[in-house]
Amino acid sequence: MTKPVNIREICLGMLMEITEEEAYSHVVLRETLEKYQYLEKRDRAFITRVVEGTLEHMIQIDYIIEQFSNVPVYNMKPLIRNLLRMSVYQLKYMDSVPDSAVCNEAVRLAQKKGFYNLKGFVNGVLRNTARRLSQVRYPDPQREPMRYLSVKYSFPIWMINKWVTQFGYETTEIMCRDSHISKGTVVHCNLAKASKEEIVQELTAQNITVKQHPYLDYALEISDYNYIGAISAFRKGWIQVQDISSMLVAEVAAPNWGDYCIDVCAAPGGKSLHISDKLMGSGYVEARDISERKVQMMQENIERTEAINIRAMRMDATVMDEESRGKADIVLADVPCSGLGVIRKKQDIKYKMSEKQQQDIIRLQRRILQNVQNYVRPGGTLIYSTCTVGADENQYNIKWFLENFPFHLESIDPYICEELKCRTTAGGFIQLLPGVHQSDGFFIARLGRN
Amino acid sequence: MALRQIRIYGDEKLAKACRPVQYVSPRTKLLIRDMLDTMYEANGVGLAAPQVGILKQIVVIDIGDAGEENTEDANTKPGIGCGDGPLVMINPEILETSGEQTGQEGCLSLPGQAGMVTRPEYVKVKAFDENMKEFVVEGRGLLARAICHECDHLQGIMYVEKVEGDLFEVTDEEEE
Repeated sequence: MTKPVNIREICLGMLMEITEEEAYSHVVLRETLEKYQYLEKRDRAFITRVVEGTLEHMIQIDYIIEQFSNVPVYNMKPLIRNLLRMSVYQLKYMDSVPDSAVCNEAVRLAQKKGFYNLKGFVNGVLRNTARRLSQVRYPDPQREPMRYLSVKYSFPIWMINKWVTQFGYETTEIMCRDSHISKGTVVHCNLAKASKEEIVQELTAQNITVKQHPYLDYALEISDYNYIGAISAFRKGWIQVQDISSMLVAEVAAPNWGDYCIDVCAAPGGKSLHISDKLMGSGYVEARDISERKVQMMQENIERTEAINIRAMRMDATVMDEESRGKADIVLADVPCSGLGVIRKKQDIKYKMSEKQQQDIIRLQRRILQNVQNYVRPGGTLIYSTCTVGADENQYNIKWFLENFPFHLESIDPYICEELKCRTTAGGFIQLLPGVHQSDGFFIARLGRN
Repeated sequence: MALRQIRIYGDEKLAKACRPVQYVSPRTKLLIRDMLDTMYEANGVGLAAPQVGILKQIVVIDIGDAGEENTEDANTKPGIGCGDGPLVMINPEILETSGEQTGQEGCLSLPGQAGMVTRPEYVKVKAFDENMKEFVVEGRGLLARAICHECDHLQGIMYVEKVEGDLFEVTDEEEE
């Protein structure tokens, strides 16, 4: 008989890849779950929960570990550090796993991974944690308000400082808290293929919970499903996964019949396809991206939808394409960003981003803007969007852009629902905040060329 | 260390009932040693003699540290066959079973595949050791599963006959 898979070992391997080797959690998780598709739902759920949960609460977990360990977390062997993290997560957040099982499994795994001499250490830290978890003293909200937020919600202190300055303490806490709330998946109904009633019926028939999204009529929020690939409405192409914020981009772009649209950072192609759909077969959409793999992926998606007015092509958004100069009615610039608006979905972002990296990203965003603004015809539209929060990559970039190029902001009120309208939307942009709005953190600005 | 070739599903030897062992000759001892080497080399937790082409009632099992995972019981002590050395059984005979467990099972004679199989949660088995001394062993969880799986081989039964649903592809994890 063959050896059965050890799901805790799988979890540990994934955490090592994510925290020590720069791999992205959502990629690692997707690849692993695909590889172990045959595992029972229970095991798959355990893996997802432990890996996502450990990352979600990592700063807090490290704080707890350091109450019971003489060695600071950053000084531990990477494997031991991650083993302790996932074990403390189970102790604190998973009541269904007995404490003794957590400790035993961790000790055994340490031994299996060649750390026989650290068995005692792992055992000691974990048994102490299990026994005295409720006595841990966390930073005091009055005396150390920033550190309190940082440990309670596991956000790096630099990010907390920045957000508190820009959004205030209360909103910062709302945003931090929201990143820990599990929500359904927002899907985009492909109304050309099926009516909303048919789609809802198909989903409910598979015992999936369906909720109407308040911002857009064709957006649904679904929950209580195991694996998206197993949803029949998804297989039929009736729905695709796309966050509401990303759908709003096509709404705000509001293409007219026959428009030529260039999406300069298009992968995975959701917004481009959305525009192509809105053009109802007229006009043309070019979904450009820098990597061949992403372009191929988009091409496959395009072929699946059978749209004829769109194609994927490989092109670097920072390099001038003379042929496109002044041609496009609409340019979508959904630029690479720090991703601080989607931390709820990709928990590791908050640890991987740093202020220095953010500066590099801003430079790249401006290079892209500087280049692609050339493609917009006079009177045409440039839509700038990011999935991040904070003025640095959003408002400041727009301000810089308006100072340097012949563009003006255009009100986006005609394209959005009442609920979203506010002073800035009339002014031409919106910053969606997680927890404040029912969406990911996102920024959209509509710029018209003079 | 001598490795023997593992027969693959479809091989007629795997479909035949095995003869009981009358006495343990030096050749039998060598066979047992080779079976252990072969099992460890293939990263398996159990191997039956017909899987290396010998129609004798001999099985070897070592579930190693995977042992306690299924039970989640802190008080379970490792024993023979669970990390404290292999379990070698000659002419095994299942005396008693109870409970039920459904889980993933794979076989070295069907590499890269697995399926869901329901087995007893507990088994009690009587067998002879390498000196033909009779002993009784109890197993729960994975050990119970392994004992049933290997004893089936001695009757010419593969787990595929008991699988619920389809077989699926599995990739072997590299072990460091």
